[in-house]
Amino acid sequence: MAMKVELRELNRAYRIGDQVIEAVRDVSLSIDAGEFAAIIGHSGSGKSTLLSMIGGLARPTSGTVLIEDVDIWARDDAFRSDFRNARIGFVFQFASLIPTLNAVENVALPRNFGKGGNRAQDEEEAIMLLERVGLGERLFSYPSELSGGQQRRVAIARALINSPALLLADEPTGDLDEETEAEVMELLLSSCRKTHAAFLMVTHNRAIAEGADHVFRLKGGALQ
Amino acid sequence: MLGLALRNLQRKPFRTYALAIAVAIAIGAVFATATILWGVERSLAQGFSKFGADALVVPKGALVNIKTALLTGEPSTFYMKGSYGEQIRNLAGVSKVTPQLFLTTASGSHCIVGNAFLVGFDPRTDFTVMPWLYQKQEREFARGDVVVGANNNYQVGDVVYFYGETFTVFGKLDRTGIGLYDNAIFLHIDQAYDLIDSSKKYADVPDMGFARGDVSALLVQIGSTAKANLIRFAIAKNPEVRVVTAGNIVTSVRQNLTALFTGTVALIVVLIIGNVLMISAIFSTIVNERKKELGLLRAIGARRFSVFSLVLSESIMLTTFGGLIGLGLGVILLRIFARSIGFHLETLNIPFLWPPLYQVALLAVAAVIFALLVGALGALYPAVAGSRIEPYDAIRAGE
Repeated sequence: MAMKVELRELNRAYRIGDQVIEAVRDVSLSIDAGEFAAIIGHSGSGKSTLLSMIGGLARPTSGTVLIEDVDIWARDDAFRSDFRNARIGFVFQFASLIPTLNAVENVALPRNFGKGGNRAQDEEEAIMLLERVGLGERLFSYPSELSGGQQRRVAIARALINSPALLLADEPTGDLDEETEAEVMELLLSSCRKTHAAFLMVTHNRAIAEGADHVFRLKGGALQ
Repeated sequence: MLGLALRNLQRKPFRTYALAIAVAIAIGAVFATATILWGVERSLAQGFSKFGADALVVPKGALVNIKTALLTGEPSTFYMKGSYGEQIRNLAGVSKVTPQLFLTTASGSHCIVGNAFLVGFDPRTDFTVMPWLYQKQEREFARGDVVVGANNNYQVGDVVYFYGETFTVFGKLDRTGIGLYDNAIFLHIDQAYDLIDSSKKYADVPDMGFARGDVSALLVQIGSTAKANLIRFAIAKNPEVRVVTAGNIVTSVRQNLTALFTGTVALIVVLIIGNVLMISAIFSTIVNERKKELGLLRAIGARRFSVFSLVLSESIMLTTFGGLIGLGLGVILLRIFARSIGFHLETLNIPFLWPPLYQVALLAVAAVIFALLVGALGALYPAVAGSRIEPYDAIRAGE
């Protein structure tokens, strides 16, 4: 089935004291397989919250998230966990590696939660991915021994290990220098092209957004 | 997940070792105390199983006194009609009945020792005293002879003096583990009656308040095919008597021991509760510290149960490790205190035998399982809390 992400009137509100904050308001959009979409907007505009609802990490107050025609928020938590593991790859804006695991183990980690496979095979695939992202020399380094850019490459390799149909990235280059940022972006885009995965990215960087198939601008939680 | 849990423990070695040692102290105390309690109980049970009598029949008001007398050898006197023995002997299923008469010596010029426990027994029907003889003269027991318990300092052939009469030590009993038998001096029951009669001439010897033919206890052996409960029930129909069984006594011993070890047990309970609370508090902090990591694990596909089991297995590994150290600590504690505990129990006339190795091994396994449960119980709430955090909130923790 071709990947299609479709959001219908998605809302998320939360309460701080007596005040109700509407983080995301009536967002509807769709992205097809192989497409690159950028979500842009100021800080606090609801970009990360929207991405999390699409990824099954934050429950919407109302609305529907359809991925491959599956209403993920109508299913139970175990289903969403398995779905995330098998169909969605995440790259976060922070250094999102487990500090006690080396690069290979971090990349192979999602395989611990999936079905089948064996450790040797998982590690072999992790090594191949790390070599693809240019970390063939740092396979057994721990996160504390890697630079910010290298850590991001490990996170990308991890996001790709289960060949996801949807790749979600939340400002993956926000803390990187220009040269590294370009390398990481090229890596993400080429990986998605190769697997025909839909790629949805939150970014502040207008130059990156300009290269996207779709640009969704959020302001005050609503699409502009 | 187990590998990840293990590496998390290695992440902060000081915290891990400090927690493990705290658990080890509690588990070591549990293991050592349980081993000692089991040893004491086993020793007593073994002693009473060799007692020979299936039941003791005593006057109705003497239940507490007989238990004390049996356990500690503390002199005690109480009497009932000797004719009850005949009634019991006539019950179907009863194979043997023998009387015993309890006397105490007075602290006066008529006795060489004050407050000794004299027991008149009938060598013609006895089946509980003579089998314990391990040193004796090469002749038959006769009037004028006494048999002494293992705790008495007299030797075979010694001459002792009480109630104005001299006696020869005919034999000495092996250690029985029964206070009464280890401390008492046994003489022929007919001579015991004579002594009481003759003591009436001394003004300073109090009236014992009994008639010749009365007895203090009747020891009953039940035939192997008879139904013991029915016989005990039949004996107890006589409202003037009470029936004591070895089982009752061991239960009573257990109660006494529990009282003896109450302080230790209370301390251990406090230690264990403290351990559970400490594990709970520390793991709540750990879950809070690693909220982002847990959120990340959820994002890449970990189910709630995986996060729950990660936290729980980390705690269980830690406390089980603590439990294993605790076993070593327990063995050291047992070795260090073996002599002092043995001595203390000796002074209470409680014999002490170490439990056999397989029982100690069972206790060790139980102690480690106990440690595991401390870990599981302590980390239960933090593990549930950690698994219930919404992944998005967890990932954004600290932002």
